[in-house]
Amino acid sequence: MRYLTVLYDANCELCRNIRAWLLQQPTFIELRFLPAASDAAVSRFPGLDHQRTLSELTVVSDTGAVYYGSKGWLVCLWALREYRLWSFRLARPDLLPTSRRFIAWLSRNRYKFAGISKFLAKEQASWQT
Amino acid sequence: MNYTVMTYLGYLAISIGLTIWVAQTLFKNGRVFLVDVFHGNQELAGSVNHLLVVGFYLINLGYVSLMLKLDLAVASPQAGIEALSAKIGWVLLILGGMHFFNLLIFSRVRRRAMLFDAPPPVAPDACIPCREA
Repeated sequence: MRYLTVLYDANCELCRNIRAWLLQQPTFIELRFLPAASDAAVSRFPGLDHQRTLSELTVVSDTGAVYYGSKGWLVCLWALREYRLWSFRLARPDLLPTSRRFIAWLSRNRYKFAGISKFLAKEQASWQT
Repeated sequence: MNYTVMTYLGYLAISIGLTIWVAQTLFKNGRVFLVDVFHGNQELAGSVNHLLVVGFYLINLGYVSLMLKLDLAVASPQAGIEALSAKIGWVLLILGGMHFFNLLIFSRVRRRAMLFDAPPPVAPDACIPCREA
């Protein structure tokens, strides 16, 4: 596996900020981003259910493996140098259900989290200076 | 040669001997571990192993030499053996602590190396044919 393509919801401020945060992180595996269900995403992955990518974060590897929702999040963490260990911790059988529930909850409420988004954006601005 | 000097000589002989023994154990058995961590790169493993053992020697021999002095003169063989035993006890505890510290370093290094190679924590939901970007 050489890179992962993350299909994110470009209409959601939280998602855009998380994308910006991910781009700042040192990675084991390159992360590329495409807005979910955009023309670029459709032409890149013709075999994918693009309606589903609008409701769930979707990560596709260069080898064609597709990870939806919480699995997508865990794979994103796994790609990061600093957080790979966490991806394994959160994917442990005793923690996985909780991780899933939390991610599903966050995902359902993603348009409400303008506050967190602003915080992340501010953090990011402070790194860039 | 009085009892104090004899105690010192006994202390040095035993603690240096112990240090060498522990260091050799570490050197011999740590190597296998490091070769695995460095993906069979024998040369690098040998080099890191050697550097670790040098550090181990320096810290232990430094400690042994700092601990040498007895606070009072040894009057009898019994007092000599008691003083020797207390000193050697400390040296053993420090050696043990250092040894586990080394093991901790080995396992940390190994965990990092294993993380680097690890496949994703979850299995994919689906597989699609993929067109190069």
